[in-house]
Amino acid sequence: MRILLVEDDQGLAEALQQSLEREGFVVDHLSRGKQALTALAVTTHDMVILDLGLPDMDGLDVLKQIRSKINDLPVIILTARDSIDSKVKGLDYGADDYLAKPFDMQELLARLRVIERRLGTASSSMIIIERVVLDTASHKVFLMQPLSVNGPKDKKNDQQYKVEVHFSKKEFMVLKALMENAGRIQSREQIESKLYNWGEEVLSNAVEVHIHKLRKNLPDKFIQNIRGVGYIINRPQTNTLN
Amino acid sequence: MSIRRYLVLTLVSILTLITFIAAIHGYKASMVRAEKLFEQQLVDFAHIVKGLHHTFDKKGSYLIFDGSQQSVNTAPNFKTSFAFQVWQGHNLVIQSTNSPIKPIISLQHSSTHFREVNFSGQRWRSIYLANEKSNVSNSNAPMEVYDEKLVIIVAQPLDKQFLLAQEVILAAVTPMIIAIILLSLLIYGIITHGLKPLHKLTAALSNKQSNDFTPLTLHVDNTELTHVVTTLNQLFERLNLAFERERHFAADAAHELKTPLSVLKINVHNLAQDLNDKGKNNITNLIKPLSVSVDRMGHVIDQILHLNRTNPEQTYQNQKIVKLKPLLQTVIADLYLSIANKQQTITLNTDDVMLQGDELSLQLMLTNLISNANKYTPKNGEIKVSVKDLSRDEKKLSHNKKTNEKTNEKTNKIVIIIEDSGNGITVEEYHRVFDRFYRVGGDQHDSSVLGCGLGLTIVKHIVDIHRADIVLSQSKSLGGLCVEVLFEQNIERV
Repeated sequence: MRILLVEDDQGLAEALQQSLEREGFVVDHLSRGKQALTALAVTTHDMVILDLGLPDMDGLDVLKQIRSKINDLPVIILTARDSIDSKVKGLDYGADDYLAKPFDMQELLARLRVIERRLGTASSSMIIIERVVLDTASHKVFLMQPLSVNGPKDKKNDQQYKVEVHFSKKEFMVLKALMENAGRIQSREQIESKLYNWGEEVLSNAVEVHIHKLRKNLPDKFIQNIRGVGYIINRPQTNTLN
Repeated sequence: MSIRRYLVLTLVSILTLITFIAAIHGYKASMVRAEKLFEQQLVDFAHIVKGLHHTFDKKGSYLIFDGSQQSVNTAPNFKTSFAFQVWQGHNLVIQSTNSPIKPIISLQHSSTHFREVNFSGQRWRSIYLANEKSNVSNSNAPMEVYDEKLVIIVAQPLDKQFLLAQEVILAAVTPMIIAIILLSLLIYGIITHGLKPLHKLTAALSNKQSNDFTPLTLHVDNTELTHVVTTLNQLFERLNLAFERERHFAADAAHELKTPLSVLKINVHNLAQDLNDKGKNNITNLIKPLSVSVDRMGHVIDQILHLNRTNPEQTYQNQKIVKLKPLLQTVIADLYLSIANKQQTITLNTDDVMLQGDELSLQLMLTNLISNANKYTPKNGEIKVSVKDLSRDEKKLSHNKKTNEKTNEKTNKIVIIIEDSGNGITVEEYHRVFDRFYRVGGDQHDSSVLGCGLGLTIVKHIVDIHRADIVLSQSKSLGGLCVEVLFEQNIERV
């Protein structure tokens, strides 16, 4: 995936470029808003990482112009500004996601992957958490059955065999929403909004029913309930720093 | 006391007082003059009667009365308040109908004089006019009985005199009383009009919020107030600039600090990845302290910025209706990673409650409070977050009483309670934890916990901005700290 990085701080740009390239992204770096707009007019980038504090023009204006020309280009905003206030503005102007400096590299990568999967450019359409495998392309869910006692973190996944678990379309959507946002709590309202269109009638306990069905067929404690808040699937602990 | 009241009251009372003193003096002087006038009138009248009597005397057409018959010649009954008698010797020659038969004034007096006498149930002012000529002519010789003395007595009732005088004087004074009333109204009107620009200025100033530094758009014509308004506007401008500079300083400092911090953070990440790729073991020993320190620096910078931004004296609040439930869900979701890391249980118990306030500040406040609960509660601990709408209970009560009329505007009482099963804070420290950079236990604070002692100061700022109350206590159900934030607001329900 080809990313256009618009960031005026040389040090940050270099470090980011290094990180992203290690993860397999192709990164072009520009330090001015006007350059970025010119570049986007001719080249084909899959997405943009945009810093809001640019020397030649306001990052939000750059975002506005990008949106007016290329409607569906994913944009992630980086900013050191008033963290919550410009978040709202950025998302209002059509940014896909938002990160406040200083951010965690893991955080940025997680968000890039969500966009990658959405665009269908992901090298794999599989989301794997613990023993659960969700294929976003074929809309199928598999459970990996361990051959050895080495545990689910064993890297030789090929040695394991997958068993498909059948879920209804809505149940699959609930699971997808939770797995895509692993590590972030999803409230009942958030999940509902992904399941139903405007005006479609929602039973008050619809989400609970779906979750109940999912839990019955998935490993224990895979989907956790935070009372009063929502549901969560914990992110696999792959962070080297923890 | 307002300037208008003071001016109107003093001016009107002084005006009234002076006018009344003048009127009283005028009244007294007029009365004296009137008395003289009436006396002169009596004298004139007496002389006319005397003249008439002489005329009749010469013509011989008057009657002589003998003492026994007592028939008196009465004057024609003309309408007058005057009473008069004409005595020749001891005989009553002519008299008015309203005079008694006896002499009004004893006839022994010889000279002309004024006297006040009583008869016919009234008090009279009378003149005693004796025939001086005969008196003078007979002054040398002893008075003979035959030489009959001519006495003319004229009297006018005193109350009649008095009433007449009073009528005249009152007629002169009445316009003055009307003038006082008119003047008072005029003074009131002029002062009100004159003070109008001052009132406008006061209204414009009192409508201003304490953090509103926009210049006054007030049009005043008088030179005095124009100066005041211009000076005020200049002051506002300077204050605004000063505050703007301070705000920008904070934002600029944030930018300058946050960007290098991001570089540091990403490079630490890259370094860790590099070392990992090269198969170096025990890298966490080297990298972890670095990464923790970077996080800590980021935290302190964030908190100082938040402290600055929530300073009640310089925030520009964006007040609106905030839905508490989604807000709390977001806050807990954002903090969930650290809660899950300590295997703590968190529960949220809330209805759909609305609150008027600045959403960003409220989010910051809740984040700080729940993050504190997370930090100071041991592993496997418990955190409870609940929201209670106290006004709703009251509403139910009032509904039972069927007095549920004022639903359009009412006091909204909402309490947000955050409890944990940690060690809590001792009562002695309750008031100190809101101080800047103070951490529980002072120097002995567990420094392994990320923090800088600003979290609760920020919370207090936000609580103050929303005119809410914060109460610390020991949690009854969990044993740790219980923080209650109580909001009391007037919300117009839609």
